[in-house]
Amino acid sequence: MRIKTPKEKRTLIYKTIIRWILYYILIFFSFVLMTSGTMLKPVLMIPIALCIAVNNNQIGSALTGAACGFLIDISCGKLLGYNAVILTFFCILVSLLFELYLRNRFINILIASAAVSFIQGWLDYKFYYEIWNYDNVERIFSTVTIPVWILTVISTVFVYLIIRLINHFLLPKEHLTLEEAIKTN
Amino acid sequence: MRNFLKSTRFKVLLAFLAFLVGIMIYGVTKGGYSLSGASFVNTITKPFRSLSNSVTMKVENYLDKVSNATEYYNENLRLKQQVNELTQQLTDYEALKEEVAELRKFVTIKEEHEDYILSEPCDILSYVANDPFKSFTINKGSAEGIKPYCPVVTAEGLVGITVEVSEHVSTVRTILSPDLSVAAVSSSSVADTGIIEGTILDAENGNTKLIHVDIDNRLKEGDLMITSGTSGLFPKDYPIGFVKRVNLDSNGLSACAEIEPCIDITRLTSVIVITDFSGKKEADSDEN
Repeated sequence: MRIKTPKEKRTLIYKTIIRWILYYILIFFSFVLMTSGTMLKPVLMIPIALCIAVNNNQIGSALTGAACGFLIDISCGKLLGYNAVILTFFCILVSLLFELYLRNRFINILIASAAVSFIQGWLDYKFYYEIWNYDNVERIFSTVTIPVWILTVISTVFVYLIIRLINHFLLPKEHLTLEEAIKTN
Repeated sequence: MRNFLKSTRFKVLLAFLAFLVGIMIYGVTKGGYSLSGASFVNTITKPFRSLSNSVTMKVENYLDKVSNATEYYNENLRLKQQVNELTQQLTDYEALKEEVAELRKFVTIKEEHEDYILSEPCDILSYVANDPFKSFTINKGSAEGIKPYCPVVTAEGLVGITVEVSEHVSTVRTILSPDLSVAAVSSSSVADTGIIEGTILDAENGNTKLIHVDIDNRLKEGDLMITSGTSGLFPKDYPIGFVKRVNLDSNGLSACAEIEPCIDITRLTSVIVITDFSGKKEADSDEN
């Protein structure tokens, strides 16, 4: 990586601050959206947390995962911390996977989001409905869990585009481009 | 001058003046109608006068706009502000009207049940996301005297119970939930009792279920189910819902009924919490 000048370092700090502010504004609006109306809604915080985790270190990913998890707990009326634990774990995992093994491609993020949101929905179904042996409990899975999961996967496309837009302008480039390499050499 | 007064010209002019005075006097005697000559002139000149007048008015208006532009601009601003104020007043009025209508409903609860200690009307903050049983949060909490397991009602009927109370927000579990059981009795026959408990299938249609009803019941469609108040968790004789359909329970030993709540739980805007009532028993779990 190229050595940065003090000015470049300062710009990097400002960009990073603005980027995180924008991330959290997005999270806030998603929370507001999730607490509006009585219709089934996607759990927007899952793709947001994962898209952020893909491009950031494990600490930032974990904190974002926890924040998003707490907001899911509040909006979905779950035990506070339940989704925070799940999402923190998956954010760290996704951050590591994309750092070590996976390329930052839309399809990979979509698969990760689909897998995590399915596991979250499935655990939610198991612990909040099936465990209590309600009559016709399987209907919850088909009429709530699966539609919410599909909506979440669909919403990943839009979330990915927004996060990508933010990253395009504000995420520091870690590697030299070919042009930069030629110029440097 | 003397020559002029003696001249024929003066006499002619005098005669003409007299003629005009004569015409004037004649005109007075016509009682408001024009003289035929004037009428003729008016008719002939009407289109020209009309055209001329419209052109003149437009020019005058244009000149008026140009010369008084600042004045009109200020007036426009003033009127806009006035319109905004009136719109705001109208909005406040509409909100106040709705609030009064809501409060009027709640007053009837207090009038009918003097022993109730009611909270202030609570607005619905939000419904719990993706909850099949339509739990919701209200904008009042422990700071307003609300405790866990207080009945939540509207003037029309029972809504549910508070389950999680923070300082300024409470979560309400509705009668659609299988986790809430309410002892109920038919308003028309005290012998027909049962337990109101939500089911997944009924909750999909916004209904709840009456279970453990005697197989020889006399329940029929349209019967009103009210709280029996035996547990001390809910006040006695509060409306819950109407019987829609009576069926045999799956065990074959008792009957059950589909109950349509008195209120549409998915369309609530405000509710009230009964913080105390005669016969209330402090509880730390749901009614059984």
